[in-house]
Amino acid sequence: MKRVLFITLMGLGALIITVVPGLAHHSAAMFEPTKTITVEGVVKEWQLTNPHSWLLVEVTGKDGKTVVWGFEAEGPSTLLRAGIKPSDLKVGTKLTITGRPMKDGQKAAIWVSAVRADGKKLDPAAGFATK
Amino acid sequence: MIRISTKTVAATVVLLSLTMMLSACNASAPPTAGPSAARITERTKEQKAELGRQHKTAADLYQALRDEAKGGQHLSPADVPNWSGVYSRPADKGFTFDPDQPDGGLPTAKLTPEYQKKLLKRIDDVKHGIEWDPISTCSPPGMPRWLTEPFLREFIVTPDQTWLINEMVNDVRRVYTDGRQHVPDEDRLPIPDGDSIGFWDGPQLVVHTNQLQAGIYQRSNPDYTNQVETVEIWKKMDPRTMGVDVWVYDPPALVEPWYVKQTYVKLDDPDKNLRIRYWNCGENPNNSVVQTKDGTTQFRNLNFGEKSGAEKGKP
Repeated sequence: MKRVLFITLMGLGALIITVVPGLAHHSAAMFEPTKTITVEGVVKEWQLTNPHSWLLVEVTGKDGKTVVWGFEAEGPSTLLRAGIKPSDLKVGTKLTITGRPMKDGQKAAIWVSAVRADGKKLDPAAGFATK
Repeated sequence: MIRISTKTVAATVVLLSLTMMLSACNASAPPTAGPSAARITERTKEQKAELGRQHKTAADLYQALRDEAKGGQHLSPADVPNWSGVYSRPADKGFTFDPDQPDGGLPTAKLTPEYQKKLLKRIDDVKHGIEWDPISTCSPPGMPRWLTEPFLREFIVTPDQTWLINEMVNDVRRVYTDGRQHVPDEDRLPIPDGDSIGFWDGPQLVVHTNQLQAGIYQRSNPDYTNQVETVEIWKKMDPRTMGVDVWVYDPPALVEPWYVKQTYVKLDDPDKNLRIRYWNCGENPNNSVVQTKDGTTQFRNLNFGEKSGAEKGKP
């Protein structure tokens, strides 16, 4: 749809590492510890799997070419605890999504936050809250 | 001079024999029927840590608690406590085995020099972006790490067994409370969640676990060996909170038993949407990782193309 927007250094990234669990099952060492990227795109596929889910987002650049970014989050039950339901991200859903990208330049990131075009916020880390 | 008759000697021998027989029976006898109030003394955190230090092994501590509980009780169906609901471990401390670990500080275990050195190297590696978690291969966390995973949990109590369930990799610990003993020494082998036996002391469940495998308490936390054993006291602290006192014994790695208090919070679930479902750790190839030559973690082969990922879970 749209394009890669920006890469920023955010204190929020460091906060997430120290306060809530990162990714269970495997380390997050392959991802940048503090940098984040934000892209606008549409949902290509949502793999709701354990131990991690992957949201594949199709992003269209200025040149009109599309690339697919993968955003990794926890499994379906943790996402549900964050208020993120399977029906929230159907194929074609427009959204803006932020994550910590991989250090080696692959188009993949830990999903930190997202906002759907209709304004609904989707924050996977909230799934670890005990409330 | 005191004169002892043959009859007195014979009576004494019979009495002594009877006492010894009764004693031997007591060690393996099932607990008496409940219900009753807890007999084990309420202790402060420091007193609990000291209690651990007073006993050389987990088996010794477990027996001492059983003695204090006068053998414990066996639950009748009417006495089964209400531990229903879906729980999870508070994640505000992130990945630490001891929830009381100071922010930015080291784990609170008193480690032997060898294991302290291993821990410091692990923490230093993480600072340099190098980290590998042994469960990345989809192996279970194993006890005592089982206590720390931040996913859904259920606690199912029956008179003869209690099931302590962690959603992650469908991990169920069975605690036998029917009076059976551990597997005999010669038949033991290390297994992820070990062998757990227990007894009820009023509303609390006392558990001894042995036969465990080596592992890590959590990331950036120490290692434990396959000599690790635990004693736990599980108790519902209030309608929303399950608490467990944990003493970990592991002589090769710990200078003294490591006492920690874990809690699990009952999650609000007004729509009853939270369910523990089958956890297939290997269902999505995009989650497959490998350990690199420098010891860190990398994806094996991310694939976001037409044939990417799992067939399941597509909304």
